[in-house]
Amino acid sequence: MKFLLLSLFCVTSCNWAAAPAPPSPCEDHRKHGRREAATACFNNLVNTSKNPALIAEGFWGLKNYKAANELFRKAVAANPKDPHVRVRWGRMYLDHFQKVDAAGLFEEALELKENYAPAQLGLALVASESFEEKAVEMAKEGLKNDPTLVEAQELLARLALEEGNELKAGEEAEKALKMSPEALDAMAVMATIHMLNDRDASEWTNRILKINPSYGQAWSIAAHFFVINRRYEEGIQMYYKALELDSGLLETKSDLGVNLMRLGRDVEARKLLEEAFAGGYTSAATVNTLKLMDSYKNFDTLLTPKTDIRLHKKETALLKLYFQPELERAIATYEAKYKFKLKEPVRLEVYPDHEDFAVRTMGLPGLGALGVTFGTVVAMDSPSGRKPGAFHWASTLWHELDHVYVLTATQHRVPRWFAEGMAMHEETANNPEWGDRFSVEGITAIRDKKLLPIATLDAGFVRPKYPAQVTVSYFQAGKICDYIKERWGFDKLLEMMNAFGAKQTTEQIVEQKLGMKPEQFDIEFLAWLNKQVGNTVAHFEEWRKRLKQSVALMKEKKYDEILKDGHEIRDLYPDYVEAGNIYEMMATSFLEKKDTESAIQELTAYAKIGGRDRDVLKKLGKLLEDKGNKQEAAAVYDRINYFYPMQDEELHRKLGDLWMDLKNAKGAVREFSAALGSKPVDPALAYYNLARAQKASGNKDDARESLVSALENAPGFKPAQKMLLELTDK
Amino acid sequence: MKWISMLLLMANASFGASWYVTISGLGGDLEYEVRFAGWATDLDKSLRNIPDAQVNTYIGKTATKETLRKAFAEFAGKVKPDDSFAVFLIGHGTFDGTDYKFNIPGPDLSAAELAGWMDKLPATRQLVVNTTSAGGASIAALQRVNRTVISATRSGTEKNATLFARYFVEALRDPSADTDKNETLSALEAFHYADQKTVKFYETQKRLATEHAVLEDTGKGEAVRAPSAENGKGLTAGRFPLMALGNARKFSPEKTKLVEKKQDIEGQIDKLKYEKAAMPSDEYRKKLAGLLVELARTQEELDK
Repeated sequence: MKFLLLSLFCVTSCNWAAAPAPPSPCEDHRKHGRREAATACFNNLVNTSKNPALIAEGFWGLKNYKAANELFRKAVAANPKDPHVRVRWGRMYLDHFQKVDAAGLFEEALELKENYAPAQLGLALVASESFEEKAVEMAKEGLKNDPTLVEAQELLARLALEEGNELKAGEEAEKALKMSPEALDAMAVMATIHMLNDRDASEWTNRILKINPSYGQAWSIAAHFFVINRRYEEGIQMYYKALELDSGLLETKSDLGVNLMRLGRDVEARKLLEEAFAGGYTSAATVNTLKLMDSYKNFDTLLTPKTDIRLHKKETALLKLYFQPELERAIATYEAKYKFKLKEPVRLEVYPDHEDFAVRTMGLPGLGALGVTFGTVVAMDSPSGRKPGAFHWASTLWHELDHVYVLTATQHRVPRWFAEGMAMHEETANNPEWGDRFSVEGITAIRDKKLLPIATLDAGFVRPKYPAQVTVSYFQAGKICDYIKERWGFDKLLEMMNAFGAKQTTEQIVEQKLGMKPEQFDIEFLAWLNKQVGNTVAHFEEWRKRLKQSVALMKEKKYDEILKDGHEIRDLYPDYVEAGNIYEMMATSFLEKKDTESAIQELTAYAKIGGRDRDVLKKLGKLLEDKGNKQEAAAVYDRINYFYPMQDEELHRKLGDLWMDLKNAKGAVREFSAALGSKPVDPALAYYNLARAQKASGNKDDARESLVSALENAPGFKPAQKMLLELTDK
Repeated sequence: MKWISMLLLMANASFGASWYVTISGLGGDLEYEVRFAGWATDLDKSLRNIPDAQVNTYIGKTATKETLRKAFAEFAGKVKPDDSFAVFLIGHGTFDGTDYKFNIPGPDLSAAELAGWMDKLPATRQLVVNTTSAGGASIAALQRVNRTVISATRSGTEKNATLFARYFVEALRDPSADTDKNETLSALEAFHYADQKTVKFYETQKRLATEHAVLEDTGKGEAVRAPSAENGKGLTAGRFPLMALGNARKFSPEKTKLVEKKQDIEGQIDKLKYEKAAMPSDEYRKKLAGLLVELARTQEELDK
């Protein structure tokens, strides 16, 4: 699930920012679960204080954000040089899911007072919501400037646990507990570490409940970590426990609703989200998710014993032709590979609007991912959600379904690098033309020696240190699995997967299963990788320069010069099939020189390496057709179906005709059905073509029905009339 | 459409000539000059393939208001009530909030001026296909009973250059545009074809659609995106024979009986379709299949 983890962190980390520290004694009452006393205390602030900042605190404590906001505004006007008021106002904004406004106030506070620790903590909290590396940095700065800042220490513990570094998280939490024996969130982190490892956490939960018998927030924190470790079911139980202790945790209700929605439990999800909303928790995630659920009525549900596919009504007729068989094929393949069967159907949701998919995934628009998996539920973009060629839906489907199997087999106890690596491996194992090409980001990372050791590869997914690190980590993880499979066989990957499920660590597994230290594995893997891509990495700048020259030569129509160096340039970076690639330039040059055969060869190489420009592939198909090579032409057109079967009635019609000529009636039925599902300009002809294929496949009843539909549109359509009589008279 | 089919089978006797006027306006820059002239030329070529068609095409410098005024005055003296008369506007249009103007060399042509010229034509079946930007603003001035008005844009505020003309011209060349297979392309079929292709273009390119074609053929009310029995639009446009794709045939007395039988079955099919919503689906399909087989057999006899 590309980029997913970032997003999940972003959603769930909101909990932490929502734990501001109001002034004593109200804080003390709240911290110890004395709710009535806390409310009375905040009311008292509102009713008796003359200080607008304190009245604001009172309103904030009573969750009257509007009034609090006005009072903070007055307080800042009255004390323009006071950084504290700005920080408190910022914390209120964070509590009210307005992190941009909050960050602005923290920055202003730092301008007023350099190294002001509470403002640095505020920025750390903001950064933690966006899952930025800056979160750790700012929390540390805050602690340096105020060693008593327990909240910053607790944040460091949580951030370490997010990275999966339990040892460090425990150490950071211990530090917080030394600073304050009542550091509840530090205790929650300790409890979570125990729970994640199936150990008894009662030592810590009892301590928490002794301090605050209704501190449900501790279980919300634990739930967050279960969710980001993809242990959704357990996370959901934690959220329920949190609400048992404190039913007023609206953010927890919303988070629980979002996670129930992810697992397809829509009724309970809606109930909780509506409760959160009605209670005033109107975060973007809450509102967006409710809106998305309203739109479910626009989806069709297609059920089989092993699949539950949800397609948008406007796309069902077309996409079911491809998604249904591909999902079933993938399930059959994985059942054989992973040697077990899922206990429930796989639910696949396909969203034509990418932003709906993003909301489905994380409650918020703006997600960069193509697909995500929650248990046995897979949600993904429809091909129509992106520009043609921008993504390969079938590859994405196989990737996500692989997660379903690996996560099920390991009960979700698997590091990200392995889960993503297996999924990346499966994309190309299924079909070498699928999957991602070797990218410029990957080349740069290898050149700059930025690949991570296998033991710490997870960090590249969780908290990237440079913008492309997530995609580079996907690449690296996939290549590691390719390498293991090539050297030790696929069964070794299965052994590793099972060992992860048995709670062994990456270091232990590399040593025990691969027989070497992780450091040695890194050396040998890099040597293997270098054999594959070393030439491209070493000559990348040369390739770039020469490709640029080729583009200039193309503009000048110097085809002979293009052809002279073309193959050399291609071989420097054969995976480059994006805009301005050498394959197309060479094919064009060959065509200009009337060498169709060589042009076909270049474009065939382009297609086989994974080129996904629909027009280029259509051009290749046409050249092959003209040459009379119908089989290869059909294969080229069929490639397009697996990345963009949309909006192209002509393609489906043409492929249907080719399949008919090649006596592939089943393929022709699919393609003519697809033409029909593409809202054809000429529905009568589309039905007639379908009838032809159905008749050829021996399905005369369906053929007759299609002919009736053709003639319903065009009663005088003679070829359809003729076939109808033929079928009727027989 | 079905009724056109009948008309063709019964020969052209009751209908007169087909008149076509294509006006390609100013492009502003070279790209549009070439594009508009290209579409107009292609359209001209397609129309000239129609037997006995009266084709008049004005491109570039020839398309001045004075030239056009004189031409329409001349047409008014020649066109007969039974004739059909179609006008195609290709180019840029503008709307200043009050008046729509078609950009041509010299003074621009307003919708009201064009309507005035067309009102003087005796032809009872008229068609205006305004493929220009802001063309939606011309509909109110042009609409009239027995005149179909098609616009590439739904209002005067859709000001970007359009692509609708490209696909409308394509409709006259693509047999699949004749969706009812009656060998006559109606104005309604061409509208649907061009509209679908235009919509698909924007969807595929992931571009925000800047044009939304509409049709008005009742002489009153708003133009609509999707003409249908429900909104009462499309009947006149469906009867406007934009282009005959087959040859009109004359029949012997025996065959004429078969033609009458065929028309009767077609009428029953039409009636059944109107009753579709009110009957069980299985019953509808069964009755429809029966009628279609009967129609096919009759056609088979007719073709012998």
